[in-house]
Amino acid sequence: MNCDWTRENLVLYIYEELADDAKFEFERHMQHCLACRQELESARTFKDQMAALPVQEISPNFLASNRMELQEALEHAEQARSGWGMFVFDFAGWMHQLKLAPALTAALLIIGFAGGVTTTYGLISRPDVPPPVGKGQQPSVADIAGIESVDRQTNSNRVTIKYDTLSPQTLEASADDPRVQQLLLLAARNTRNSDVRLDSIDILGKQPEDNAVREALVYALRYDRNPGVRLKALDGLKGYVKDDVHVRDAVLEALMHDTNVGVRAEAIGLLDQVKADSSVRDTLRVLAERDQNKFIRSESKRYLASTPNLD
Amino acid sequence: MPAGTAVLEPAVGANSTRRNSQSPGAMVSQALSRVNDSELIRAAQRGDRSAFEVLVRQYDQAVLRLALHLTGSEADARDIYQEAFLKAYRHISNFRFECSFYTWIYRIVTNLCLDHLRKRQTRKEDPQTVVDSSGRELDVLERVSDDRAGANPERDLMRRELGAKIAQALTRLTPRERMVFELKHYQGLRLRTIGEMLNTTEETAKNTLFRATQKLRGALAPMR
Repeated sequence: MNCDWTRENLVLYIYEELADDAKFEFERHMQHCLACRQELESARTFKDQMAALPVQEISPNFLASNRMELQEALEHAEQARSGWGMFVFDFAGWMHQLKLAPALTAALLIIGFAGGVTTTYGLISRPDVPPPVGKGQQPSVADIAGIESVDRQTNSNRVTIKYDTLSPQTLEASADDPRVQQLLLLAARNTRNSDVRLDSIDILGKQPEDNAVREALVYALRYDRNPGVRLKALDGLKGYVKDDVHVRDAVLEALMHDTNVGVRAEAIGLLDQVKADSSVRDTLRVLAERDQNKFIRSESKRYLASTPNLD
Repeated sequence: MPAGTAVLEPAVGANSTRRNSQSPGAMVSQALSRVNDSELIRAAQRGDRSAFEVLVRQYDQAVLRLALHLTGSEADARDIYQEAFLKAYRHISNFRFECSFYTWIYRIVTNLCLDHLRKRQTRKEDPQTVVDSSGRELDVLERVSDDRAGANPERDLMRRELGAKIAQALTRLTPRERMVFELKHYQGLRLRTIGEMLNTTEETAKNTLFRATQKLRGALAPMR
């Protein structure tokens, strides 16, 4: 390691952000380089100097008055609509925004006028334009009314998805095709048909390395009403319990709160690989003592007994 | 955040600089806090306002402290506090548990603070002017005091002058540099967490911190 590298990493060193191996190299260089040692001393002095402008503690009165004001404001506040509610046009809110943004109002009027003229001109000049729907086209989420069914062909990577737009559509493509992925992610949150959710989660569970897919699996594990879907989601997530703390949290939550014993039993099975983790052990201790289910109690005790207590 | 790295995010509200390593007790309490937060968030998502208020009380001191230190004005800190938590309440249904709640709320707060800093930069406000809740203007030197036993007046004055110089130097940073430096130096957050909060990479956060410290060291060098 040379002096340039050391100076570039000086700040990371004083803020304890250097990785262990880099820190070792850094300190080794410092032992025999006087110039860099002086630079380090100067950086440390700077850090100490900054303490002359400390972060003030908040006075209890100031905190209390802020809390009271917020409490009052919350009484009149409404939560944003989720799900289908967000697609309902909020005319009052729109008017309010327009009132606050005259420039935006003008821009919208101009765009609207230009769009109207262009569309009219287009309709006149091109009388017979075929409808933009058809087999194999990229479906737009806004055009999709619902997913009817998802079928995977045996011994093949092909997936057939029936979905509705204005008229029923079918897409047949490889399971890793982006169009199929998009539909599967949508189908995973299909509130009408649990079979569709089950099939989608099953296929998605084969490719959880994709962040959007993993998010869909975690969502299904947390919120899906059907225990079969939650079990499929658990199955898809099992490879990530060790490396992804969000997945681990979701599995811990399923273990603690899921209403289905089968899902809980599956969840505790996944924790075998992380049973030495402090948060997992802590949960296991609670379950070993108090859980109503005998299997969960005995499994928790078994895991705790098979790992040394590091706390 | 992958658990394999074994770095848990520091608790919000702890005082300035922190160590990388944490005691097992702290790690357990953080893990439990994550689980408890999840329950509160889900209740708040169902419209339970009291659950949201419990969440607010866990984080609001840290939010207020950050906003006050960044803006130097109680009125501005109050505005940021109110707007941040109202926004969080209105949009809590969008919270998908992809990050911790404190990262999410801090993301809202840092965005509001960045907007505030940008506006102030455009207006070129006098950084020495600090306004308390009653609108009274205070000199920045009043924020810097030395309460240590045995502190002598001369030394206290030097410390106050240095504090004023620091406050001025901080205003010369770009809003983003100021924010990264604030979150790292004064709030003691990990650069990876800062990157998550500012919707950028850890590498970019590192470079921004490097630039910020270079500028500050340059500005404060004559004081040494």
